[in-house]
Amino acid sequence: MKIQIQGVGKKFRVRDADRLFTALDDITLDVRAGEFLTLVGPSGCGKSTLLDLLAGLDSPTTGRILLNGTPVNGPGLDRGIVFQQYALFPWRTALSNIEFGLEAKAVSKKERAERARTYLELVGLRGFENRYPHELSGGMRQRVAIARSLAFDPDVLLMDEPFAALDAQTRESLQEELLRIWEKTGKTIVFITHGIDEAVYLGQRVAVMTSRPGRIKRVVDVEFDSREGDLRADARFGEYRHEVWTLLRDEVAAARAEEAVSVG
Amino acid sequence: MASTPTSAPTVSAPADAPAVAPTASPVRFSADAPAGPSAAFPARPSTDASTASPAGAPVAGAPSAPIPAVLREAVAEASESSLTGPSVGRRLWRGSVRVAGSVGRRTVAVAALAAIWEILPRLEVVDPTFLTPLSGVLAAWWDLLLSGELLDHTQASLIRSLSGLALAIIVAIPLGLLIGWYRPVADLLNPVLELFRNTAALALLPVFVLILGLGETSKISIILYACAWPILLNTIAGVKGVDPLLIKSARSMGLPPIRLFQKVILPAAVPTIFTGIRMAGAYSILVLVAAEMVGAKAGLGYLINYAQFNFRVPDMYAGIITISVLGLLFNQFLVRLERRFSTWRTT
Repeated sequence: MKIQIQGVGKKFRVRDADRLFTALDDITLDVRAGEFLTLVGPSGCGKSTLLDLLAGLDSPTTGRILLNGTPVNGPGLDRGIVFQQYALFPWRTALSNIEFGLEAKAVSKKERAERARTYLELVGLRGFENRYPHELSGGMRQRVAIARSLAFDPDVLLMDEPFAALDAQTRESLQEELLRIWEKTGKTIVFITHGIDEAVYLGQRVAVMTSRPGRIKRVVDVEFDSREGDLRADARFGEYRHEVWTLLRDEVAAARAEEAVSVG
Repeated sequence: MASTPTSAPTVSAPADAPAVAPTASPVRFSADAPAGPSAAFPARPSTDASTASPAGAPVAGAPSAPIPAVLREAVAEASESSLTGPSVGRRLWRGSVRVAGSVGRRTVAVAALAAIWEILPRLEVVDPTFLTPLSGVLAAWWDLLLSGELLDHTQASLIRSLSGLALAIIVAIPLGLLIGWYRPVADLLNPVLELFRNTAALALLPVFVLILGLGETSKISIILYACAWPILLNTIAGVKGVDPLLIKSARSMGLPPIRLFQKVILPAAVPTIFTGIRMAGAYSILVLVAAEMVGAKAGLGYLINYAQFNFRVPDMYAGIITISVLGLLFNQFLVRLERRFSTWRTT
């Protein structure tokens, strides 16, 4: 097992409230090495909190997370994160952004540039080395962000709704490309999304979360004979999609009801 | 975003760290003025700041600066069209007309001001004893230049301004970084900062003179004091304004705090800090003049004051013109420097 999430819960102290707010409750989930796992859930179910815990940016209130058998106790270059809002450093060029993670590792300047170039090519942005983020489109920026996270060669890639801010066409092409990169690099990927199609299209397994507090409701195995061609037109795609949709429907309704209560 | 990168974001900084510095009202009024031109610069996505021409520069008072850029435009247009063939002549003509028009637009207001300055005293609409015609002022300026007197005064002034500004940069940037980054330091110092930044710098001039005497120390100190505020407040705002996602992203890559500061906080804050330095540059000239009117033996402020006492009115105006051109050039220099360090800040 690459990642073992064992009985993880997370509580926050909310401002001007006496009781603690439970974001995650008793999450147990294993991710195999080289697996592509997608995590879907209604908004506000604690998906991003779980990702923060995996990244080591925050620590769980209960339970523990193991990475390669050792507990996670802080951020590190064995995990790479891709954020929805890219989080590229605007004063650095595409190439220099990709080098960022390598600077923390003791990699020589020459090798840094070489590696960065390789990954820029991997994400299809050859020739854009010296562009600044503001000179790139949203899709290109996310490609640079993916390359940045891959460049320091982490075991695990954590992606927090990375394609949510992109237009549908760019999203589809990036999804395809991500699968290609995954197959090529053999990384373990945990991919958070609120899109059912995206979850089924990308994931070998889809973990469905409940609304507040976030728990794992069910893990759906998604198996296709081949991912070649128009996967979305496959009849089985529709079945998986419907299964996840049914699981999510009640949770989305519950999340709505709760929002209505807290707003009203 | 419609606003420009150079000054707007920091001037509208959050209430707890306003970037508009706290000096006496006349100083504040004119100090804000130099921020105006840069605010009108269009945001250029150019990656090379050195090629950015001041095409949108509305600074009509600096006829020497825009012209080369304008000529460059004309040449560029001409050489561009030479590749395309038949209508070269027409394009060249159109280019020249456009350039002439743009030079005209930029100089017309200054030319009008100069004309009014020349004509009104000559027609004795205003008393020429108190307002010397421009030609007379320029003649006086030329005499001052030839005698070497003007250079001496300018040198004395520049040394004071630049030392004050340099010291302010050395003191205020580290202090601002500290206050912006460490919450406890901010909590400790904020009340004092609030108190002092709402006290006009020039109101403290007598105190400076009292304690430090009439010499250079008190003059440089008051300039240092006035310049420190915009730099300090902008540095604090710059550090506090760093996108939290960038910090999170860097932290996720295991960056220790010191490296985080060096590789993320500092570069992200540089443009805002430079805005503060540019504002301080304007203050350094403005406060200088006031400081030199008190017990100085040289300097442009002294020249202006002394000339007025001795009824050398043309010399007085010559001094005023010199100081305003000096301020203008200094501001232009800092604006360019600022732009060079902020090319990425366009979103």
